Amino acid sequence: MNDVISYQQALTHYYAQKEFPAVELSLDETRLLTKFHPDHRQETMTNLQVGPNAGDRCHKQLADVLQADSRIDAADLAGARIQATDVLVIGGGGAGCAAALMAAESGAKVMLATKLRLGDSNTIMAEGGIQASVEKEDTPQAHFNDTYKAGHFKGNKELIKELVTDGPETIRWLIQQGMQFDLNRFGDLLTRKAGGTSANRVVYFRDYTGLEMMRVLREAVNNSNIDIWEYSPAVELLSNESGHCAGAIISSLQDCRYVQIKARTVIIATGGIGRVHLNQFPTSNHFGATGDGLVLAYRLGAKLRDLDSFQYHPTGVAYPQHLSGTLITEGVRSAGAYMINALGERFVDELKPRDIVAAAIIRECREGRGVSVDGLQGVWLDTPGLEAANPGILKKRFPKLMHLGLRSNIDITKVPMLIYPTLHYQNGGVVIDKNSLSSIPGLYCVGEVSGGLHGRNRLMGNALLEIISFGRRAGIAAAKDRNTRGHKQITIDHISNLRRELMQNNMSMTNKAPLLFPDYAQYDTPENIAKRENSSGCGVCDL
Amino acid sequence: MNDTIDNKHNLSQTEARVEKNVSLSINGQPITAPDSLSVIQALWHAGFPRVKGVGCLDGVCGSCRIMVRRKDSMDINMELGCQLLIEEGMDVFFSVFDTPSQHRYDLSEINTSWDVQTEFHKIFPEAESCRHCGGCTKTCPKGIDVESGVALATKGRFGEAGELFVECVMCNFCMTGCPEFIDPNHVGLFSRRVTGYFHTRPSNLINRLVAINSGALDVDINEPDHDEDAS
Repeated sequence: MNDVISYQQALTHYYAQKEFPAVELSLDETRLLTKFHPDHRQETMTNLQVGPNAGDRCHKQLADVLQADSRIDAADLAGARIQATDVLVIGGGGAGCAAALMAAESGAKVMLATKLRLGDSNTIMAEGGIQASVEKEDTPQAHFNDTYKAGHFKGNKELIKELVTDGPETIRWLIQQGMQFDLNRFGDLLTRKAGGTSANRVVYFRDYTGLEMMRVLREAVNNSNIDIWEYSPAVELLSNESGHCAGAIISSLQDCRYVQIKARTVIIATGGIGRVHLNQFPTSNHFGATGDGLVLAYRLGAKLRDLDSFQYHPTGVAYPQHLSGTLITEGVRSAGAYMINALGERFVDELKPRDIVAAAIIRECREGRGVSVDGLQGVWLDTPGLEAANPGILKKRFPKLMHLGLRSNIDITKVPMLIYPTLHYQNGGVVIDKNSLSSIPGLYCVGEVSGGLHGRNRLMGNALLEIISFGRRAGIAAAKDRNTRGHKQITIDHISNLRRELMQNNMSMTNKAPLLFPDYAQYDTPENIAKRENSSGCGVCDL
Repeated sequence: MNDTIDNKHNLSQTEARVEKNVSLSINGQPITAPDSLSVIQALWHAGFPRVKGVGCLDGVCGSCRIMVRRKDSMDINMELGCQLLIEEGMDVFFSVFDTPSQHRYDLSEINTSWDVQTEFHKIFPEAESCRHCGGCTKTCPKGIDVESGVALATKGRFGEAGELFVECVMCNFCMTGCPEFIDPNHVGLFSRRVTGYFHTRPSNLINRLVAINSGALDVDINEPDHDEDAS
């Protein structure tokens, strides 16, 4: 392309504009999505060949992990320690903590195992806020309608009803854990509008909503009688003689040994899959977001849904490169910041749903109206305009973004940041009911690992609501369920079934899953695997 | 027009820059990597495995806390490995997170907000023995005035104390920096939590809870009149 527009040229165009007129409203959204949204790249999709979703459309990179071999053999378990609990929670983010707290409060003996440390999760990085209809002009019905519509009418209506009705109670519960929110001078909750919503409904704490939530929940869990296992990724589930979930096999990043956890019920809260970098996109996700829970549940026979639908958040950092993919909250656009292309023009209503806005950015770049620098492309996020219209707003409401500017060597009150969509969220996941129970008895799935609430596109603020609303439901239900379930025999027979199916379909057995870590962390290099296998308990793979 | 730009922003800072390799030491291992990389990225770039001590990669989780000594300096600084770009001659050590707080409490056991100050001194008895050495403030990678926060909490000014800890990522460095075992970040978090727990009572939220509990706002799942994607 000859007509790429350089950073400096584009900045000239940007500063030349005195104001940015609104864009015309006629937009063929279906066509825009089909042509530019990454979910519509047919060549990246495939049909699953094995498992309960055989025949369903799925992203190839996700299919690779769902149809990979197990990391373990029966022999690995020969000397493995065995421990027992009532409820085992896998994952230590917001969903896992909420579930564990409620299960413990309900009287169950709870163990929480997490791959890294308690709180290491996408929750802690959430910025914009959490949806709850609290304003006079808003209702749970409007919240329902917005959520269902943004998901392209593909969400599960029963689940959405539960979610939106729980909104205000969820905020109260968080306050009772000691979480703070931004308030007006009368002490009322401040609200923001999310892209694609009909009312101001997102409550928040600066652009640190997730950090505030996570440090409070972590402290609550640390001060409970929940048995916390850090550096303990789950590598396989256990089942009983009837195929019910009966616990999990946990590996230790400290001594590289396996432990079998026998549990009456299991709650998977492992989050999403951004660190697999679908379509080679950068991601806003946590280091540990490698889709482990999807693999564990699928192998045990749990039904999944919408495996071809992912969210690309419109405002990821495009430049400088070492920060590429870092999230900038939608709250900035909600507060009034425009997006400007290299010609100095707005090109989409910035508060359309995320899939539309992301597709529009990709369109601008692909059609030569993106800003080019160092081989990267993006469009401007007009923070200087936002600051000019509301002096002081960036410092007061968006301290994290101010830091990001500093680290980019940019004064964002004067210079716009260059942004491009970043892989942000897995819209689908394990099919659940309103207690977060999967299609496998005894197996609950909650948060990003589950599917159905968001249809094919999620609204800002509905993920934080989901993890607490459904996390609490899962914790209560799993604790109750423990009394109805005993296990006679505990097996990993489903691994033999998986291997048989893979062989019958002539599929490769070389890839292992769950991945646990992205490949660039060098965890599964041949040298490291050998070290782990010969380990006499040292287990120090990290430099 | 270029004048305008130069007034607003020095373009040389963001224009394409030439990457150069720098050499440094991480956990005693000599490493060479481009200077555009963070400490963690440099480690991976050089082919070394690292999974513990890696977290959000976004500066908010405190997992990748490191101690850094720069070339020609005897000062040791506490930083976050995902945020710090590597420099020539740096000496870096990961300080893997392993310092659980010994202070335990349950908010629901504090009966009223009148009791918070008394309870605080039972939960954090060491706080009033702060010797103002500044170890906590010096070790904070986020630049928080930790020592003042502890002092405010000790005086019962929990709202003010909590405000100082807005950006705290709970990396626990200040705990290792405190000779009195005060656990200053947990004092900060306690201050924030009691403020939310006892003093956040939004009337818009309370009104909405009353309305929902009365059944006045039940959701009709068939209200949206079309199930097909109309767009």
